[in-house]
Amino acid sequence: MNLRNGKIGIIDLSTGESSEEDFAGDVLTEGVPRELLEKHGPDSIVLGTGLLTGSLIPASCVGTLTTGRHTMPILGHAGIELKLTGFDFLVLKGKASNWGYIWIRDGIMEFVEMPESPQLNSWQRTEKIRSDQGDSKIQVLSGGPWCDAGSPAAQLVVDHWGGEDKVGMGAEFGKRNLAAVAFRGMGELEVADPEAHFEKSVALMRGHLSRLALNKGLQSYYEGAAVDDFVSLAHRYIGCYGCPYPCRSYLKTEEDPKEMRLMHKEPGYLHYDIPALEMATKVGLSPRDATRVLVRCARAGAEPVAVMAAALASSAHPDVVSIDALLARHDDIRPASKGNFELSFPALKDYETCLGLGLCPRYWAKVGFDIGAISSCAESALGHKLM
Amino acid sequence: MDLRLKLEPVKCIACGVCEMVCSMHRDSVLTPMTSSIILHIEDKANYFGLVLKTKSEGLVLGRPEGASSGQQASGSGGPGAKPILLREACDLCDGHPKCAKICPTKCITVVD
Repeated sequence: MNLRNGKIGIIDLSTGESSEEDFAGDVLTEGVPRELLEKHGPDSIVLGTGLLTGSLIPASCVGTLTTGRHTMPILGHAGIELKLTGFDFLVLKGKASNWGYIWIRDGIMEFVEMPESPQLNSWQRTEKIRSDQGDSKIQVLSGGPWCDAGSPAAQLVVDHWGGEDKVGMGAEFGKRNLAAVAFRGMGELEVADPEAHFEKSVALMRGHLSRLALNKGLQSYYEGAAVDDFVSLAHRYIGCYGCPYPCRSYLKTEEDPKEMRLMHKEPGYLHYDIPALEMATKVGLSPRDATRVLVRCARAGAEPVAVMAAALASSAHPDVVSIDALLARHDDIRPASKGNFELSFPALKDYETCLGLGLCPRYWAKVGFDIGAISSCAESALGHKLM
Repeated sequence: MDLRLKLEPVKCIACGVCEMVCSMHRDSVLTPMTSSIILHIEDKANYFGLVLKTKSEGLVLGRPEGASSGQQASGSGGPGAKPILLREACDLCDGHPKCAKICPTKCITVVD
């Protein structure tokens, strides 16, 4: 099956037992997580990959995490890494009796106990999992203390960064004693016509780039990132898998932004959370302080828009110190974000279609969501028409 | 003509398609596991670059602070991954390197 593994993994957190189902769905992915929730129980969590995730079509980087009525995208290199584990979808059922994480690789999934996780923030969890499993390329969806507490304003971080979870998915992890989900993809995906897929993908990408201005990271998508104080801290731009026009700008606050050597272990933060930066501006934080606040929120597993909105409600001029103090009281802070990538398109339907295809909604909203051009390119990989 | 690949790592955006098309050239499947080029990312520090295994220059290290060549191949990428020592050296895709063609930032180019 081209671009698919043909396999769904299921694990019961309460027993640790895992099983598999065949996945015959060489189809658009939008409806599959809902079907899996209906089959395995509405309280389950479904991780998924899009039909075109991992192809050569530009920005085919997206995976998804779904529970209840909510879905969040999984971006960076995590979406493709998930698909290369050998599963197209994963269903997490029940609640673990002890804290731990799901570890997925090579067509295997298991629950690994991590009793110390409540004492670890999200960054420490990611580093511990990578260290324990001996591979720095492991992708980690991690919760933090706010997630463990089930705060409605919790957020999961993907590796170390926040911006995908604007729907309270972090609390869903915490309710299940789930500290993280980690995966490493070393599999492979078949393609119907590799040469044609390569040529069509290159042509599609070049067509996009010819219409776009020189990429300036997040500044190319959000004018608030064009202010001097933001630009002066910018280190490098980094793309998700397959993205030729990245929206991710890394700001260095703890060392010279122009330092290219590997020096400081935690020199800054990767910005792609536009609503968080908008709220930081509203609160009156400089890009430097906004970066420091977002680091703290990410470590805590706290959604930064909600945190800064609460800070503004309690002080006319919040600063890093007062916001840091707020991070200790997660119980009474309510969700405030209206979305990040969800706001890429005027119509939610286009956003959902993008996720179903495994394509980045922010990129495709930027270049124009031309389903005809995508279909032509996809056909060379799938071996049949997209629709 | 004696073609080779030139890396300008500061242009890299870590999109990773170079790994995928390299493996696809060899095995006709999409995977980063058999490529002659490896993307290395220290994500928390935003430190990333490329390692290219060549026939004529040994390993070319495309670090953000600059590219260098002549290193010997050794283990890389963690014990679960396929180290570059065990990978094939770049064959330049029979004169039309796919990584250079698909690289969106011209971080990888073909030179004589």
